Amino acid sequence: MNHFSFEEIKVGMEESFQTEVTQEKMDAFRMITGDENPLHTSKAFAGAKGYHSCVAYGMLTASFLSTLAGVYLPGEKSLIHSVESKFIKPVFPGDVLLVSGRVKEKNDLFSVITLQVSITNQKGEKVLRGSMQIGVLEDEK
Amino acid sequence: MTRETIYERLNAVFQDVFDDEEITVNDATTSADIEDWDSLEHINLVAAVEKEFGLKFTMGQVVTMKNVGEMVDIILKSIG
Repeated sequence: MNHFSFEEIKVGMEESFQTEVTQEKMDAFRMITGDENPLHTSKAFAGAKGYHSCVAYGMLTASFLSTLAGVYLPGEKSLIHSVESKFIKPVFPGDVLLVSGRVKEKNDLFSVITLQVSITNQKGEKVLRGSMQIGVLEDEK
Repeated sequence: MTRETIYERLNAVFQDVFDDEEITVNDATTSADIEDWDSLEHINLVAAVEKEFGLKFTMGQVVTMKNVGEMVDIILKSIG
């Protein structure tokens, strides 16, 4: 886990990590949220809608943004204020995602950073883009 | 710049931040008058006002501002 302080973070700084969307993660997300929509749970239904497999939950894909902030940038001192995301292309179980964030702005007054975020799949296709506002907590004095 | 001109631009900033074209603010407006004006939107509002008027508030100014009128006073002093 990273431990960047607000002062250490610079505009333009980037962090990223890879993760796979496994069936286990799909099942866990379904259990947590209760989202039983067949597009995510039935291959037959998803097939009838033109997809080769069940479509991964968009919010599961977006949930990796929590990891991006809480583990990578800024890491330990993260306090997420807001997340905006657009789901550009479908994600399927088995896809390997690259989750990336770049510091776009720093607000010195409130110790808040704005991250430009994107997630791409193993083919290099962007599947999500968006932005996050993240507070960077101060060390206890 | 006149107080009226500042209010014209400030209204547009408030309408954009709170996504409500019906908002108009005046000297007496406070966070209690705008439903979505919470601590998170306050950060966005201050940043948007700074960007609109090309100024930087100090922490002292931000924590002592009691209403929009005091914000306008600070803007007037900063940009003349």
